[in-house]
Amino acid sequence: MRKSTARYWAAMLTCAALVLAATYMSLTNGKFDMTVMDVIKTLLRIDPVPEHDLVIFEFRMPRIVTAALIGFGLGIAGAVIQGITKNGLAEPGILGINAGAGAAIVIFMFLFQGTMTDNGLLATLAMPLFGLIGGLGAAGCIYMFARRDGSLDPQRLILVGIAISSGFGAISLYLSLKMKPDDFEMATVWLAGTIWNANWEFILSMLPWLIILTPILMWRAPILDLFQLEEASAISLGVATEKEKSIMLLCSIGIVSACVSVSGSVGFVGLLAPHMARRIIGIQHKHVLPLSGMIGMLLVVVSDFIGKTVFAPVELSVGIVLSIVGVPYFIYLLYRAKKR
Amino acid sequence: MQLKHHVPIIILMLSPIAMLLIVLLSVLYGARDIDASTVWNAFFHFDEANVNHQIIMHSRLPRAVGSLLIGAFLAISGALMQGMTRNYLASPSIMGISDGSVFAITLCMIFVPTATSMDMIVFSLIGSALGVAIIFSLATLLPNGMSPVGMAIIGVIIGTFLSGISAAISSYFQISQSVSFWYNARLDQMEPKLIMLAIPFAIVGIILALLIAKSVTILSLGEEISTSLGQRTLLVKLVATASVVILTGISVALAGKIGFVGLIIPHIARFLVGLDYRWVVPCAGVLGAVFLALSDVLSRFMNYPFETPIGVVTALFGVPFFLYLIHKRGGGKHA
Repeated sequence: MRKSTARYWAAMLTCAALVLAATYMSLTNGKFDMTVMDVIKTLLRIDPVPEHDLVIFEFRMPRIVTAALIGFGLGIAGAVIQGITKNGLAEPGILGINAGAGAAIVIFMFLFQGTMTDNGLLATLAMPLFGLIGGLGAAGCIYMFARRDGSLDPQRLILVGIAISSGFGAISLYLSLKMKPDDFEMATVWLAGTIWNANWEFILSMLPWLIILTPILMWRAPILDLFQLEEASAISLGVATEKEKSIMLLCSIGIVSACVSVSGSVGFVGLLAPHMARRIIGIQHKHVLPLSGMIGMLLVVVSDFIGKTVFAPVELSVGIVLSIVGVPYFIYLLYRAKKR
Repeated sequence: MQLKHHVPIIILMLSPIAMLLIVLLSVLYGARDIDASTVWNAFFHFDEANVNHQIIMHSRLPRAVGSLLIGAFLAISGALMQGMTRNYLASPSIMGISDGSVFAITLCMIFVPTATSMDMIVFSLIGSALGVAIIFSLATLLPNGMSPVGMAIIGVIIGTFLSGISAAISSYFQISQSVSFWYNARLDQMEPKLIMLAIPFAIVGIILALLIAKSVTILSLGEEISTSLGQRTLLVKLVATASVVILTGISVALAGKIGFVGLIIPHIARFLVGLDYRWVVPCAGVLGAVFLALSDVLSRFMNYPFETPIGVVTALFGVPFFLYLIHKRGGGKHA
């Protein structure tokens, strides 16, 4: 017990250190080269240069913070969903929650196109809400079709998710084609899962969701451990399984929707991070959840850095980088799991 | 059983009439109003100088024929895959085979910029073979890989992976636009020349499919039964896979990614004609042809006068049906 706690803190700290290192790399590198001293001076407000302020505070910082936050959110949500479905292959993206939130946001862009630029902050704050409605809508559909005899069958959950996800994808595509060219461009860039247009308003709009919902999930993490047992055993231990499942699913959907409303559909974080976390510190969810969040954070920050620099001058969206890097590793993981 | 045999014969007898009607519909309606007599003249008194005649013969007719063919190819591929793997979710789009094609085409556009249409078809075939190879080998390597859920997820993941690489390469070499133009449902860009090139491949693919259909029926009863009946299962699987690769590969080469046809049509076919793949394969073929051609006609009206991507139309029908299948058949039982 002691040992696992020590290992957990070591893992958390390592991740945090790596995130900081990646942040540092990301801050100093880019089309506009800055020296280390420039960055430090700008951050500490020692004789500020307006140019540097612009690059750091308006372009690079928001992007890194966004990457970190969505990585954290998607990592935790992925761990919860994998815990509930008892399926290591489950992921918000595969379940169609991303697509549902995405479709709702495209609808939002479609309905309010043009008016969106006028009342900037209000519109920005409304986006995650719309995303949430879409995410909930998708989850509602999944619930409706995956429920049988009053319980949620994990296998069916995934199958229905795949269907829902392509359905909402089609809706988004259809609506985005009916948009004005400018909005269309924004919608497609956004649908691909990208964070290049990150700004502080977006961050402000998603932050409340993370701040409120993450503690609720953390608090319920031990219940996830019980879910790994047979359902009947969990019930006999006095867990109201259906209620708990619903609460945790709702919280995860809230987090995912807020993330998706800012970054578009960024896949694979929710799939990979929990796997890596479990490999490092075992199956106790009170450790798995936060560590998944940290690993997710690291993954997205690093992937965004790779997407920004490796293929320069072209920028790759973070979603693409994640799938290229993540898939082979994920398959390796599955393969190892079988051999053992 | 007696009755079941009438159904496929009726379907196959009626299909030419249905196809003819749809081709007529498809030729008659479009963004430009062309009346029936002009269409008649275009067919029988073709006038090189008449723009309407040109549209009919060089755009609308190839498009109608193309959508019939592609629908048939995809549905047959789906039927073979579902029978062979005993997996009711197996289909060209879900299994990431089209993404393999797209990947190969992307490489082809970059490294062989002078490629002819024929080269493109060959690359597309190689790509879909690659996709099949990756997914099947992973499915056999991984725990639970051959189950419907396992295979669907592996397909989705590999599909995302391959299309991610394609996107990365194509944006690096700055050909994203031409790649996306190439594979995003080009039914409206159907080239008569390309259709002609595809036909020899299609004939081979369809003949293979029909030849192997009986063995697939036995295989769909289960591997043990099939082996105990003296069937060389590996050979059957190889031939069926070859047919799937050829048919899916040329579909992508002709029109890009089109989902759901290969998934839902085989189910409808089995529902109508039973489990004998000697009937399922041809019936799926004609049903798929009719379905896709109809969807194509619909795609012109959903957002008139603009066209709607065919993928949106097929998903519109496909998704509810898919959900119905899961609900009716149950996921857990097949997982």
